[in-house]
Amino acid sequence: MLTRELAIATFDRGRLIPDRLTRKSHALYVELAQSMLHVYQNGVGKDRRSLHNTVRQLFSGSDCPPRRILAFCKLLDDASEYADGDKSKTAKLRRSVFRAAAKCHPLVTISDSLFEHDESEMKRRIAEEHGMDWPQLKDRLFEDLMEYHVLKSFEGFERAESLLARYNVAQAQVALFDAVELTVVATQDFKSILRYAKLARLMHRITKRSNRYFFEFDGPASLLQNTHRYGSAMAKFLPGLLSCQGWSMVAKIRASRFQGSLRLELNDECGLTSETIRADDFDSKVEESFCAKWGEQARNGWRLERETEILHRGQTAFFPDFVFVHEDGRRVLMEVIGFWTPEYLNHKSKVLKLFHDQPILLAVAESIKGKMGVDIGQPLIYYKTAIQIEQVLKALEGTNG
Amino acid sequence: MEQSSSQTKQRANILNQAHLEFSGGTLVLDRWTEKAIKKVFGDKLWTWDDRAETWRTIAIHYPEIRQILSINAFGTLDRVPQWQKVAWSEVKLPILRPEQLDAVSGWTQHRRGVVVMPTGTGKTEVALRIMADQGCSTLVVAPIRDLMYQWHRRILQGLGYDAGIIGDNIRNVKPVSVTTYDSACIHMPTFGNRFQLLIFDECHHLPGPIRGDAARMSIAPMRLGLTATLERSDGQHSQLEHLIGPIAYRLEINQVSGGSLAEYDVFRISVELNDRERVRYDTLAEQVSTYVYDRRQEEPNFNWQDLCAESLRSAESGAILRAFKEKQSIEDCAEEKLRVLEDLFRLHHGTPILIFAGSNMMARRVSLRFLLPCLLNHCGKAERLDYLDGLRDGIYPAIVANQVLDEGVDLPAVKIAVVIGGMASTRQAKQRLGRILRRRGNERAILYEVVARDTNEAERSRKRRKNDAYAGTRHRHL
Repeated sequence: MLTRELAIATFDRGRLIPDRLTRKSHALYVELAQSMLHVYQNGVGKDRRSLHNTVRQLFSGSDCPPRRILAFCKLLDDASEYADGDKSKTAKLRRSVFRAAAKCHPLVTISDSLFEHDESEMKRRIAEEHGMDWPQLKDRLFEDLMEYHVLKSFEGFERAESLLARYNVAQAQVALFDAVELTVVATQDFKSILRYAKLARLMHRITKRSNRYFFEFDGPASLLQNTHRYGSAMAKFLPGLLSCQGWSMVAKIRASRFQGSLRLELNDECGLTSETIRADDFDSKVEESFCAKWGEQARNGWRLERETEILHRGQTAFFPDFVFVHEDGRRVLMEVIGFWTPEYLNHKSKVLKLFHDQPILLAVAESIKGKMGVDIGQPLIYYKTAIQIEQVLKALEGTNG
Repeated sequence: MEQSSSQTKQRANILNQAHLEFSGGTLVLDRWTEKAIKKVFGDKLWTWDDRAETWRTIAIHYPEIRQILSINAFGTLDRVPQWQKVAWSEVKLPILRPEQLDAVSGWTQHRRGVVVMPTGTGKTEVALRIMADQGCSTLVVAPIRDLMYQWHRRILQGLGYDAGIIGDNIRNVKPVSVTTYDSACIHMPTFGNRFQLLIFDECHHLPGPIRGDAARMSIAPMRLGLTATLERSDGQHSQLEHLIGPIAYRLEINQVSGGSLAEYDVFRISVELNDRERVRYDTLAEQVSTYVYDRRQEEPNFNWQDLCAESLRSAESGAILRAFKEKQSIEDCAEEKLRVLEDLFRLHHGTPILIFAGSNMMARRVSLRFLLPCLLNHCGKAERLDYLDGLRDGIYPAIVANQVLDEGVDLPAVKIAVVIGGMASTRQAKQRLGRILRRRGNERAILYEVVARDTNEAERSRKRRKNDAYAGTRHRHL
């Protein structure tokens, strides 16, 4: 990720617009990105400073702001592995050189009877004692410094476009560092969105308006003080969100220069892409085949919908696998409980207990019959290898959805 | 049978009991009705958190809440503090001077507050005495890594306790621990309930929207702030009263000059830029001032911040900003400064000298020119100690540092310091001056300030002389 010092953004009527390189507006950058990748791909054995210098030279004559170049260097470095230089060996060398020089301090430009130690002569002699000449010693004296670390390998970006895509996402992420609030409005992929938020350790508040869910993400202290301390967690969450569909977000960004705040707005069609793998729509094969078998049409008036409902209590959210909607408006949720570990079953029972006031039909695998522990008080059907449609229909009529 | 039923009943009671708990830098209280909350705590303390369906407040309010609950607990179980008594294996602290004793007793009155004492008057000893007296779970927060390690050492030497370290990629939380401001504000949500006493060294660093969380997200009832310079140019020091407490003791620098601090002189030495530097400097200066002048014709309030903001997308503003930075770097690295250093080394041969550079680049240049140790951020613990001890023991004639030594790093009794760059703010200047003002016999300390003539640097030096500690700067040409 980038650091705050590398953030570039413009402002337009209360909106914050992170720096963005597109094929249309920045056609030249595809070629430049290709060249940058080339520098790193062929850079093994070179030190960080010279890599950065070479990258900088690629941009000479262009109007690219220096900060953008530094940002590219940071992203390229993030995908690199550097050897840190032998810290203790270099420190030892320094110590030895400084101690040797201390005996003839000060090293003077023109020696006289009082101070007889001529600078260049002494440097030559001290270097010799260390088995090299002065220019060599000069280069080695600080080689453990970050800028002298040597590139060991470059994992890199597949194509020029992936570096540019990463850059665009990184600028949006760094803008979120100062985010005080983040609201996501979603029409699908709820489960993934919440899962990514949880991974980033954000707290959520969920509200539903018509068929859209509103997620407000922040942290424990957010409601007590206006704080951007969870901004970095929001930045971590962003790539996950970008891999989902059917959402838009708006973040409130603290901006002291503007005596208040700015808005950062993004959605699933904003063109930012991330390589985070999409979460599976289905937990297991059983659900998938049941869904296919049921089909699109209504059976006895019941239609099957997938993942359109979130049940939530406090910070616990529960996504039933299916929702059955009857023509007369009744709704029944169905959750499939398959072959799971005892810990999972235990957790699942606890969650289901929280939602005992909802009509939830449980489809439980025969193999774990009786292992659910406590009675959850929900209607049950059992299945062996596949869930039987007839059985489900019968159970649906028995519920008071 | 009867016994088992009473056990069940008891369990049920505990399950239904209200709990006060620490959660991510906040306190949560469950099972209280709104009416009860308002009646017992008033309107302001608690906020209803509908996300977690509980009452929530920031951890700093814990002492107040604990006090209220001790009167009106209503069976609320306080599961917040995880404090421990700490027994010191061996207390070896120096006898305190009268002003240090005043500081200790001033703080002990309320066990909250800031002790303001000039650098070199023994703030650390005051804090160690307080730690020894209180013997409780304590977290010391220092501005930088070096100072964190220094505290670790001082606690080991003075109290015989091997404190935990949180920072510098180490995370070892013990009942007594040391950390940095950055780590403290990041990790306080996880350990804010483990310390009873917080000590903020150089506490003017604490205010700030996130940094302040290091104080806000802790439940510690006892808080001590240490600083030489409370005032911040942004006025944010007013937050310290809430975050730490009121001023518990204050000693001014002019109260101690000649007392526990050495007498000192400040000499300013001007150097000329060489021809090449001068030509370049003037060209750049012209470029910058023309641009700013033109812009102000249209926007009278055009300022530095606007320029920085624009430089991100405008190539022209970017060029102006680069020109400004190069100009600064010419001042900072003026060739002539190295010549002046050589003269000073000749003049004070045999006396340890501390040199402060304005940038890492200049510090390394001095180091390479004279082959002197240079104390930068990359130095490890052992190397750093070798340099500092080496300067004290006369192994190294001088060392050069950048900002690293700005504050609080324990230095041997250096009597001569040379500043060859940096020092934009009053606080930085005061602190650097404080570094050399260590009492040692009747020797006077000298601070040389080497500035490039006819540059912004010279202008900054003039402004600094208005500061009390710098009053009486004398000019000296070498």
